[in-house]
Amino acid sequence: MTDFFAMIENTQFSTWLRESNSIWAYPTVLTLHTIGLGLLVGANATLDLRVMGWGQAIALADLRPLFRWMWIGFWINALSGVVLLAADATTKAAAPMFLIKLGLIALGVVVMTLQKREAFAPAAAVTPGARSLAAVALTIWFVAIAAGRLMAYPGLFFGL
Amino acid sequence: MSHWIITTLKATELSHFMTGSKFMWPLCETLHFVGLTLLIGVVGMLDLRLLGRMRHLSYAAVHSLIPWGIFGFVINLVTGALFFIGAPDQYLDNVAWWYKLAFLAIAGLNVLYFETTQAKRALTIGAGDDTPRAFKVIGAVSIVSWFMVLYWGRMLPFIGTAF
Repeated sequence: MTDFFAMIENTQFSTWLRESNSIWAYPTVLTLHTIGLGLLVGANATLDLRVMGWGQAIALADLRPLFRWMWIGFWINALSGVVLLAADATTKAAAPMFLIKLGLIALGVVVMTLQKREAFAPAAAVTPGARSLAAVALTIWFVAIAAGRLMAYPGLFFGL
Repeated sequence: MSHWIITTLKATELSHFMTGSKFMWPLCETLHFVGLTLLIGVVGMLDLRLLGRMRHLSYAAVHSLIPWGIFGFVINLVTGALFFIGAPDQYLDNVAWWYKLAFLAIAGLNVLYFETTQAKRALTIGAGDDTPRAFKVIGAVSIVSWFMVLYWGRMLPFIGTAF
């Protein structure tokens, strides 16, 4: 596996990403990653806030389009994330914080899928289950953001 | 002038705390990103409504979540101010920071104009209603300027020397 990551890291593309001074290399991919984060977590947080009881004037069913924005954000970040990983594959793939972040994202996506089913069930009122899911989703995404940020500070958080 | 600001701020207790503590910078960065998501989520949805999208919602309904967008903005204003107090030189000497501030000003003036002159008219926009052209322009200016704020913020470490 390490060999595989080393191979990726040594491709021309990865080297360019890492070493080019061009604003179109690493900085642009990182910006895309931040925009994707804003769309995914922003749209999810808006839904969560409504489900948890704020903005009751909004009919829940009308928030369905938010899922499209969540998925757009998700795919922007899956793609830009793969590119960012390729630039430093050996270091990042071995970083505990990276694995924690990946785990949280996997969990977040599962919860997001459950939310779609739960939030838009025919039941007129928000169920306690949907409310808990919203709180869990918000927590997962905010902790995932923290994990992503802490990747820049290896070892800082309990040695992770 | 900028030299005076730098020396004054860097001499403060708070500035030493920001750069001296191992945890303050990463903590504030994390909060800055969390604030960003609230702002984009809530203000972004309002902007989409102004653009005439998500039309099944009345403007008033979307607007009812605005306190959370403001909360996100306040988180970022506070953490942003802490970054600035911690290392004023890396912002004042960085052209990306000035661009970020300029777009922040545009976004601010845009919302100020909208809330002071158009707020009443906006509340008449019910579910299913299209929005007047002026509202579409305001929504577009808002979305573009907030994403430019994000873009220039992200560019801080790459143009100039900010960390």
